[in-house]
Amino acid sequence: MKLYEYQAKEVFKEAGISVPNSILIEQENELDKAIEIVGLPLVVKSQVLSGGRGKAGLISFVKNVEDAKSHVHRLFTHELKIKKLLVEQAVDIDKEIYVSITVDPLNATGLLIASAEGGIDIEVLAVTQPDKIIKEPIDLRYGLMSYQAISVSYELGLNPTQVKEMSRLLLKLYDVFKKYDAELVEINPLFITKTGEFVAGDGKLMIDDNSLFRQSRYERSLDDYKTEAEYDALLEGIPFIQFDGDIGLMCAGAGLTTTVYDLINYEGGTVANYLEFGGPNYKKAVKAMEICLKVPSKVILIVTFGTIARADVMAEGIVDAIQRLKPDRPIVTCIRGTNEAEAVRILKEAGLEPLFDTEEAVRKAVSLAKGV
Amino acid sequence: MSIFIDQHTKVLVQGITGSEGSFWTKHMIELGTQVLCGVTPGKEGQTVEGLPVYNTVRKAVLMHDVDASMLFVPPKLTKDAVMEALAAGIKKIVTIADGIPLHDMVLIRQAAKEHQAMVIGGNTTGVISPKVAMMGSFPHWIERVYKKGHVGVMTRSGSLTNEVTAMIVEAGYGVSTLIGVGGDPVPGTRFAEMLPFYENDPETNAVVIIGELGGTMEEEVAEAIKNKTFTKPLVAFLGGRTAPKGQKMGHAGAIITGGKGSVEDKIIALTEVGALVAKRPRMVGKLLETLNVPKSY
Repeated sequence: MKLYEYQAKEVFKEAGISVPNSILIEQENELDKAIEIVGLPLVVKSQVLSGGRGKAGLISFVKNVEDAKSHVHRLFTHELKIKKLLVEQAVDIDKEIYVSITVDPLNATGLLIASAEGGIDIEVLAVTQPDKIIKEPIDLRYGLMSYQAISVSYELGLNPTQVKEMSRLLLKLYDVFKKYDAELVEINPLFITKTGEFVAGDGKLMIDDNSLFRQSRYERSLDDYKTEAEYDALLEGIPFIQFDGDIGLMCAGAGLTTTVYDLINYEGGTVANYLEFGGPNYKKAVKAMEICLKVPSKVILIVTFGTIARADVMAEGIVDAIQRLKPDRPIVTCIRGTNEAEAVRILKEAGLEPLFDTEEAVRKAVSLAKGV
Repeated sequence: MSIFIDQHTKVLVQGITGSEGSFWTKHMIELGTQVLCGVTPGKEGQTVEGLPVYNTVRKAVLMHDVDASMLFVPPKLTKDAVMEALAAGIKKIVTIADGIPLHDMVLIRQAAKEHQAMVIGGNTTGVISPKVAMMGSFPHWIERVYKKGHVGVMTRSGSLTNEVTAMIVEAGYGVSTLIGVGGDPVPGTRFAEMLPFYENDPETNAVVIIGELGGTMEEEVAEAIKNKTFTKPLVAFLGGRTAPKGQKMGHAGAIITGGKGSVEDKIIALTEVGALVAKRPRMVGKLLETLNVPKSY
């Protein structure tokens, strides 16, 4: 789960990492008060979860009240339906640094990444000038050691006073990484101000979804989602993504669902939604279909090849869902796996024509969607 | 012969009294697996399928000569259960749990390395040598998928494995050993680490890998072929060719970031070293034919 910048900064502040003075506003009329507190010049930052906010025009540097008002108005009426703006004091910058802590999947360690060239596209720098990026593996049994934080700070080319500040900050950042079961914690840019302070200019904190059972501080709300279907799916723990094509997918397993997505594209069809109801969700056919029906699509395609997710249980669930929800669009089924003979009997009894071959099922769905 | 598990492997089941644990223990035995005993804290004295249940792994290994442990343990308890098995000296561990915390997996993998042990999973269905033995949750009775033969299969996925393996069988092949390394970003064991076992297995003539977008496991396989540490024919099927960039589709491992780990990258890496990549599941069998892999049926 990715947190908003203001949430990440809240966490940083509690951990003892400096952040610029700021006020979160949710309405235009809260701006005057915010300006009073943070002062001018200031930065108005849209609180959205997508990256590249600067390039998308979602962050504005303003010097006077009129500009602040017009930008706040522009952002609150933006097509992205921005709900929250962070009004933040502008910082006098001397230097910008990049720093993050993540997991290195290949070596299965924590990884501290730092660069003296902060504030820019770090992915680009990693390709063009890899020598400008410092990577320090962290043994999660011991955590980030002081000597590592100090070594990295020297390698960034900082002076001894700055090294002291920087290494303290890195240790605090590691505490956040550990405490929040982070996939990624990132400060880019980390400002060194003209007065020598280290201040987090931005904040990114991604909590590992598998750890949410022990990370209950932040929750998602309907506001964070583009559609009601996406939010419903989240609450049910059903992996779901909405697109704008014709065929609604209701498949089991990430690999199989992704493959069916590919096959639809090969056949010239388009996908309305990705939905997985396998694994722990295989008894949730009714809920899964309810979510699929909230998405505008022309046909629903159900493909499974289940092991633990028994075919007969899924078939029963689908028949139950059809009887309860009375879908307004055709349904193509291709249900295989444990107890598939029983599944076929159940589906046929309910008047469906079960298919057995994934490619055949995909072609059928594509032709139904095209109205052929 | 098969790799990782055969009819001689002596298996302990952690979490044997749970509904999944007891259900799959029955099927592991039915296939021919030597399951000796189980562990569930607080359930010592009970039996499952006639096998004794102990409170701790420590006690179980005292009473039985165990080679491997199969975990049917919830994700939040997996780290502890793996550590318990490692501490008892068990060198082969399979965990099917879906949803193990990322930081826990990092610690599990480091501990396994230190103990010179192998942990397969999580987020997998396990390991099976059809008609011989299995550790995991495979519907081994489905003939058109779990047919014995000479093609090794490694996979990051569950139901896609059934789909692709059915196509391998449809083309007249069978499976030597199938290993599900799992769909998590940090798996206990990576594709490339299993390749030497397939290379040295006289029953394996070729290997099929079932991968997907995200991560670098497929690129590491290409590297092994390039270094000639793996020399048998290899066919890959990769899901997510048409996935929109930057979108997380299902598996935590299946994410494209900054262009790295895309299916195109993987196809280039694999085809450059002479492996073949199937566009559709059904093509996997045909590509094995192209590489002159002898059929079993």
